[in-house]
Formats: sequence, C-alpha cells, structure tokens
Amino acid sequence: MIGIKIKKHTEKHTGKKPKKRKLNKENFRFFSKIFSIKSGIDIPFLFLVMTILVIGLVMMFSASYPNAYYLHNGDSFHFIKSQLVFAVLGVIAMMAISCVDYHYFQKWVIPILITSFVLLILVLLMPARNGVHRWIQFGTFGFQASEITKFAIVVSFAHFITLNFNRMHTFKYGILPYLIILAPTILLLALEPHISCCVIVVLLAAGMLFIGGVKLKWFGMVLGAIGSALLYLVLFTNKLTYANNRISGWLDPFSPASGVDTWQTKQGLYAIGSGGLLGLGLGNSREKYLFLPEPQNDFIFSVVCEELGFVGAVVILILFALLVWRGMIISMKAKDKFGSLLGIGLTAQVGLQVILNIAVVTNTIPNTGISLPFFSYGGTSLLMLLAQMGIILSISRTSRMEKS
Amino acid sequence: MSKGTTVRMRRRSLIVLGFLVFFGFPVLALRLITLQLFQGDFLQQMASEQQLADTKTSAMRGSIYDRNMKPLAQSATVWNVVLEPAYINSEEKKEIICTGLSEILDIPLEKLRELSKKNSCYTVIKRKIDSTTKNKIIEFKNNHKISNGIRLIEDFKRFYPYGKFAAPLIGFTGADSQGLSGIEAYYEKILKGEPGRIVTARNAIGTEMPFDYEQIMPSKPGQNLKLSIDETIQRIMEKTVEEGIINNQVKNRGAAIAMDVKTGEILGMAVKGDFDPNEPFKIADPEEEARIEKLPEEQKAKEKSEALSKQWRNKAVSDTYYPGSVFKMVTASMGLELDVVNEQSTFTCNGSIQPVKGAQTISCHETRGHGTQNFVESLCHSCNPAFIMLGQRIGVENFFNFYKLFGFHNKTDIDLPGESNDIFFNKDGKMNLTDLAVASIGQNFGITPIQMITAAATIANGGNLVQPHVVKEILDENGNIVKTIDPVIKRKVISEKTSRRVIDMLHKNATDGAARNAYIPGYRVAGKTGTAEKIGLSEPGQKDYISSFCGFAPADDPKIVMLVFFDTPKGKNYYGSAVAAPVFTKAMQDILPYMGIEKIYTEQEREKLGNKTPNTIGKSIGEAKNMAVKAELKPVVIGSGETVLSQIPSPSEQVVQGGTIVLYTDNESKSKTVKVPKLTGLSLFEVNKTSHAANLNVKLSGQNLTESNVLSSTQSIPEGTEVPPGTSITVGFIHKDRIT
Repeated sequence: MIGIKIKKHTEKHTGKKPKKRKLNKENFRFFSKIFSIKSGIDIPFLFLVMTILVIGLVMMFSASYPNAYYLHNGDSFHFIKSQLVFAVLGVIAMMAISCVDYHYFQKWVIPILITSFVLLILVLLMPARNGVHRWIQFGTFGFQASEITKFAIVVSFAHFITLNFNRMHTFKYGILPYLIILAPTILLLALEPHISCCVIVVLLAAGMLFIGGVKLKWFGMVLGAIGSALLYLVLFTNKLTYANNRISGWLDPFSPASGVDTWQTKQGLYAIGSGGLLGLGLGNSREKYLFLPEPQNDFIFSVVCEELGFVGAVVILILFALLVWRGMIISMKAKDKFGSLLGIGLTAQVGLQVILNIAVVTNTIPNTGISLPFFSYGGTSLLMLLAQMGIILSISRTSRMEKS
Repeated sequence: MSKGTTVRMRRRSLIVLGFLVFFGFPVLALRLITLQLFQGDFLQQMASEQQLADTKTSAMRGSIYDRNMKPLAQSATVWNVVLEPAYINSEEKKEIICTGLSEILDIPLEKLRELSKKNSCYTVIKRKIDSTTKNKIIEFKNNHKISNGIRLIEDFKRFYPYGKFAAPLIGFTGADSQGLSGIEAYYEKILKGEPGRIVTARNAIGTEMPFDYEQIMPSKPGQNLKLSIDETIQRIMEKTVEEGIINNQVKNRGAAIAMDVKTGEILGMAVKGDFDPNEPFKIADPEEEARIEKLPEEQKAKEKSEALSKQWRNKAVSDTYYPGSVFKMVTASMGLELDVVNEQSTFTCNGSIQPVKGAQTISCHETRGHGTQNFVESLCHSCNPAFIMLGQRIGVENFFNFYKLFGFHNKTDIDLPGESNDIFFNKDGKMNLTDLAVASIGQNFGITPIQMITAAATIANGGNLVQPHVVKEILDENGNIVKTIDPVIKRKVISEKTSRRVIDMLHKNATDGAARNAYIPGYRVAGKTGTAEKIGLSEPGQKDYISSFCGFAPADDPKIVMLVFFDTPKGKNYYGSAVAAPVFTKAMQDILPYMGIEKIYTEQEREKLGNKTPNTIGKSIGEAKNMAVKAELKPVVIGSGETVLSQIPSPSEQVVQGGTIVLYTDNESKSKTVKVPKLTGLSLFEVNKTSHAANLNVKLSGQNLTESNVLSSTQSIPEGTEVPPGTSITVGFIHKDRIT
C-alpha cells in the first residue's frame, strides 16, 4: 500500500529534523492522505492520465499557435494559456473528487438528469455557431451542453441498473426507464444537431445496458430500431442533408461533389500522410498553418500524426488503450455494481471518443464533430473530463486490486 | 441481492473492453499504417502542391559583364502593386485607397473601384513601378494610416546600361524577366535564379481565405556571366560597321566578329540594324517604323513581327552567307596541306574558265585575265580560274573532307542560341565538278559567318580548330568564380607549316595584294577580301552581293581575327576590298593599339611616316623658319611677336614631308582658325594640294598609295569644322581598281 510506505518514509525524515520539517510534514500528510484514503488511488491510472494530459497540452500548443498567432493579434499563447488554466483546475478537481465517495452521485442522479435536459433545451435557444446550437455561452465562458448529457446518461444508467439489477431482463425495468431517458435526449441532440454526440450516447447506453444484463433480444431490437431510423433519415430524407453531405464527402474526400465541403477531411489526410513513419518533428506541421481549419480542435490528431509520424501516433494510441484497459479493470473490480457501472461508463466514454475522433480524422467514418479527450482545445470540456477521471480514481480507492 | 459485481457483468464488461481495445484501436492503427506508410508519399505530394502552388516571387536575375567587368545587362529592383480588397474592412477606406492609387498609378478610378469589390486577397494592379512611385505609395499609406489592403511586392526589371549595344548578341528578356534571345536566352538557367514563394492559405474552392496568413520563402538570385567580349573592342566594331552600312547604303544589315585566334574567345560581335534591348518590341529603325505604321491593320501586325525578328536576329550566327573569295584562304590551305600546290606553282588565267566541257564558263573579275602567275600572285589577285584549277587538283573527296575538318559541316557549338547549319550542295558531300569549281571560290554554298571566322582562326593559330565562345566565366552573386570556360580545341586541321605559309601569303595580300585596303602601318595585317554574288538569293533582275573581309594580325604571331561583312551594299562599290576592307582597317587601327600589340615598322613604312617636327618654341622667327625648312616643312608665321611662343603640330610629331608647321608669335593669334575643306573623293595629289592651301597637315592612311589608282574616301575631321591651322587630318584612301 503506497500510502503507508510514504508515511513511514516521512517519519524517518522528520525524526531526524523534527522542528524544521514540521510544516512540511503536515503538508505531506495532507497530500499523502489524498493518495491513501481507503485503499488508496490507482497510481498507474493516475500516471496514464497525467502522461496523456501533458502530451495533449504540448500537442495542443503546437497545433494551436499558428492560428493563435494569425487570428489573435500575434498572441501565439492565446489558446494554450486558457487550456493550461483549465488543466490545472481540472487536475485539482480530479484529485478533490477522487477523495469524494462516488456513491454521493447516486443522490444527485435526478438533479443531474434534469440539469441535462434543461441545458439541452436551453442550448436550442442559444445563437447558432456554424449553423448548429451546441454551445451555452455566458460572456466569455462557454461549454457544450452535451458534455453534461453524456455524464448524466452514464450516472443515471449506472444508478438505475444498480437499483433494478435483478429485474433487468424485464421490459418494464430493463428497457422502459432507459428509453424514457434516452429518447428525449436523442431527440434534443438531433435538434441541435449533434449527431456525433447521439452516436456516443447511444453506444454508451447500449454498452451499459448490455453489461447491466439486458436480454440480448431487447438490446438488439432497440439498437436495431434506432440504427435503421438513423439510416433512413440519412439516406432517404433531406432532413439531415448536413449529415448526408458528410457521408458523400467521406466516400470521396479528394474530388467532392459540388456543395460538399471536404476541406477539413482532406487537409487532415494531407497532414497524416505528410507525417510518414517518423513525422516532420515536433512543431513542424505545415498543415496547421491555416490549411487545416482550427487544428487545435477536432482535427488535432492529424497534426500529431504530421509532427510525430506513425510512431508517435501509435504510442499515443497505446497510451489511450492502456488508459481504457486500466479504467475497465478498476471498474470491474469495484466493490459494488454502481461503482463498476459508473467506472465502465466513464472509461468507455473516453475510449469511444478517442476511437471515434481518430476514426473521423483518418476518414474511417464520416466527418462529425468529436473532440479528442485531453488533446482538443476546450477548457470546460477538459475540466469535465478530468473530473470524471477523478470519479474513476475515487472508484479505484474501493477497488479490489493491487495498487503498487 | 449482493452489492458486488456478478460474473455475467464482468464477462460482459470484458466483451466491451475487448471491443474497444482489441477492435477499435487496432482498426485505427491499421488506418494509420495505410495513410502514413502506404499513401504517405501521395498525400504529402498533394499537400505540397496546395501548400506551395501559390504566388511566385521573382529572383534577381544575374548580371552580364564584359571581360573587364563593365556591366552590359543588370537587374534593378522594382515593385508590383497588389490590391487586397478582402483585408479592407470599410467601404470608406476602400474609396480612399482607390482614389489615392488611381492618382499615383494613373489607373482609371472606375477600374480600381470595380477591382476593389471583389473579395480577393491578391490582385496585381500595376507591375514594375520604380522606387519614386513606390515611395509615393508608402507616403500615401502613412498619411492615411492604411495598414492593410495595399501590398508592394518586390520584382526585378532588366536594364541594359549601354542601350543599343551588342543587342543581338546579349539578347533581351520578356515581361517575366525570362531570357528571350541571345546570351539571355542561352544562359537562362544560370541567369534566372530560383524564384521565391509566398504561400497564402486557400480553401477547397481555390479562392484565398481571408486570413492574414503568408509564409515567404526568399528567392535565390541568379549567377552572373563574365563575357569574353571587350566593351571597347565591341564599341569600335559597332561604330565602324554602322558607318560602313551608311557609307555603302547596305540594305540587309552588316556584321563583324572579332575572335581570339588561340582560345576562340569572341572579343566582339557587332550586328548592326539592331535594337535597344531596353525596348526590344520597338522597331529601332525609325524609317521602317514609319513605313509599317502607315500600312493597313492586318498587314501591319505581320510586317511588324517580321521587322522585329529581323532586328533581333544574330546575323553572325543564325544566318548563312556565301563567303566568296574569303574562302580562298581555306582552299589554299587545303592545296598546301595536300601538297598539290606550292608558292611557285603557276596558273594561267585567260579571264574565264570552263570547269567541265559543256558547262557554263566562270569568269574572273579581271575579264582581260591575269595571265601567267605564281600561286602567291594568284591569291593576291584573288584569281578565280587559278583557284578553280586548284580545286580540281584537290578533288571532290578531299575538298569535302577538309570542309568537314575546318568545321563547316557542323555547328561551331558557340554558346549562343539559334546557330544555323551550313547548306552544302549535298548533305553527304556529293558534288559535281561545276559545284567543286564554284565551291573552290566560296560560291553557292552557305556557311555561317561564325563558321568562317573559326576556320580563319584555325589557319591563323597554327592549324587548331577551336570552339568559339562568348562567356568566359560564371560568377556567383558575390563575384566569386563558379566556373571558368576553358578553351576547347576540337582538332588539328592543318600543319603548323601550312598555317605559316598561308599566313605569309595573306600578309602579302594585305600589304600589296587585293587586300591592301586593309593595310595598317606597323601591324602586319594578313587577310582576304570577298565579294560573293547572291546567286538565287537576289530580287529578280537584281545582282546583289555580300562584301566581306576576313583578316588577322599581327601576321608573325596572330592574336586577333576579324570578319567583317555587309549584306547587299547598294552604294558605288560592292567589292569586299572597297566596302568591307576599309571598315576592317578602321576598326583594327583602334583595336590593335588598344590590345597593346606592338608596332613594328618596315624600312619602307618608316620612310613614309614623314619627319618629326622640330621644337621651335622660344626661338626667333628667323631661326624657327630655318629649322622648319630643314625638316622639309612649310613654315607659316602667325602673330606680331619676335619669338615663337607655340607651334602646331607640337614638337616631335610625325608630319608628312612638305607639310605645314604653324608658328605663333603671340597668344592672341592662337584663336585664329581655318575651315577644314572637303578632302574626300580626291586623288592623292589633290588631297595634298588642298590641305597645303588650307594650312593643314594630312596623314595618309592606306597601303601602296600611288597617284594612279587611289581615291580618298574618309577624313578624320569633317568638312567645315573650324580648327587651328597646322592641325593634322587623317585621310583614308581606297584603291579604285576592282578586286574581289
């Protein structure tokens, strides 16, 4: 147990120089407490989070500074400054939340759900950005409503599945409550429109219900119904021309039909291809010089590929895979069902976002707006993400696993 | 109901985990392998194309210098004015900018307003403005606090400091500073440098994005050329050729080439009927321009382009001509090398010859015939029948072999564009005996002047065929030598002995043979005249000629060879001896001393140089008069003083016997002048008489001046000029007799 080890270590030191080190000793105790509450947090998971966060910040700075320089009056640090502030706040939040008993969230499931719906309605009233209503803006401070939604879905599903665990095979307890939560959420998200978030929410919900023990037939039926409805909308109606164009642009990004803008996809592919095996070197991306629109956002991974090459990109993929792996292991070994489901939901959310984001950037799936966790620019999003990592760390304190 | 996880939950969790980690991530890795490792090159190329296919900025073009680093062609910085309406944020500002630029650049306001409406980030509105105009724009920008919307992009303009000088040789450049003719075109790759780039962001539909993004990649300046051309020699040649064209009413331009006989370096290449490379698209001849201006529209364009291509054409390299009798120096070399003739061989000329039975007879310019003459005399007479007989001794096969050896059947590979091939009777050298006969006297086959002078250099330098070239060194932007062009000797054509024998014959020819109009005292000139009939090339019913002279000096160790030719002279004379030789002489008279070639006079020459004037300054009038008479000079006393204060000519100057010496006895009288009389078109006697009467001295130029056969043709000070008495005027003479 790491906490105990540290304690012993400090006692040794303070024994020699008790007066001078008294304050430090207290400080140290406070910090070591954070690590050692209950059975202590999972250090490998924390290490992975911090590593990815640091790499993400470095790459965000690299990708963002031309845009910052040219579009923000020569201030190359425009984006990284705010991102760093949120990263620091996020890490503090993560460590604080890791000390909180995650069961606390069970009491707040209903308020969280209501907040999510209120925000999803409120966001539709907000002025559109790039033709979509995704952002809730208060002065300079703004965030995407869907960030709360994703969390709300995970927490509420974990809670309700835990409550009705033994009745999950029935329609009334296994399907209906979730449909009641999911259907309006999807409808509201589709109105924004925010297809990528719909996809993530649906996949998260499906995954959690699957683990929660829903009979496979229900699971298949509902998923199939939603899938075919989406397919119908995309292929046979004009309602989602927005998405429809993206699909045709996906199939042929280099010579798109008129009216289909594949600029971003194309530039992303150029950047990835330009990287080759070893990349152009950190800071040397050419595509980020305004060829790639907003390289600090969704398409940041193409800049990573361009600068760090295939080798660097694969290292980052492996780090993400390890993070997902470790998060899942922590959750599977959680001491109760709620912790397990909550942890799996939060971990899967990160994993899904990474996979979908990189799939978009590499044009494996049609272009849709998904940010890359820890990398993409967005302060509140990063803060939220780190807070969620804090929840996983909190779960890890009760988890039955080796933490050395 | 336990709180903990169930086995099924964990199993299903593992499935989800497996899906993410073992399906999701590997798929992405595979995608990256495809994109980065397999399609990487393709994607990178596409990226580069879009990233780099933007605005090019010009590179500073390299300069062209003569052999003494005098600049002949240079590039100066100018600016292109670019309007960027997309960056101008208010209509008000747009209007200020349009009005201001319209005034400064003299562009209609309406046009600018129209351009400013487009949402463009790059519209060139005026090209190549000078620094004065550029400063006006900068001042305008400062006055109105304009930071965006107008951009000045550096460009370069070619200019030729000497204007109409060596233009067909140097060539000129087009609007984008690309070499279009001459050295400018031939050395385009070296001169042009690497253009720089300004990368501007663009979106998918190809218009510029309204982002203030650009990346400037600086251009790399071109390298400089140092020519073998000597500006002084070139200038002398251009002046004399131009005079020759005017004096002889030459219809189809004239040219001269001067070459270092040993290295093949071209020292000068004057092609007149040329143009100003600063304004290459203007017809340089004002009469021709006026004539074309009057033509109907459709004809005008055609005639204009013809006139332009004519003035640009380097006649010395790109056109063939008939060498005429100049070629006899080559025929003579063949004969001596093959040992089918020697100096003592005799030829009998009856005024004409029939090369083959039944063929057309070919006449000699001396219709009465030269009678029996030895080979040296035959050359000095430029006797056609003698050389036709020599050609028959040489034979078709040998003739063509030597023709090839002398380099007439290949290009000389001079570093100039558009070199023409020869036009021989048959590509494979087959010719009948009539062809051989006319070929022996340089008729009816076309070679380029550069081929002829290269062959003459071969004879002059001991028998080595050199490759002519105009560029001596390639220099980088800081003047360091990047490459030196070394002389190339292609092959040995004739023996040193043959070379020496031909030179001696040609020296004799230029001393008292047909080429004596090329005689320059002290400089041992050797040469051969040529008058070719433009058979088949003249206007119907006309007999047109090409008059040429090719000679070198000094004969004992030739350094420089020069070929002068005039296409279609329409003046009193058309003979090479009368048209081209005096031009050669006039140019060489200045060039040889400039090159520092030592004068060596023969006894005979020294005599003719006349006496040196005595120094009479400070002497009494009587004493001074005695000294003058002693020196066989006519004393003329001006002034009322007792002693001589100054004299013209000054002491120790060469004056012809019987010349005038003017003795001034006071300073006031010095301002007295006399009017120079007309001294051309006169006999030797008349020239002496007229100048004597006017109290002027003459210096005679020309060889073997005897009263009977010479006529004065030039005078160094024009008729009517006021000069002090006693001034020396050089009068040039030409021989009246008709010798080709």
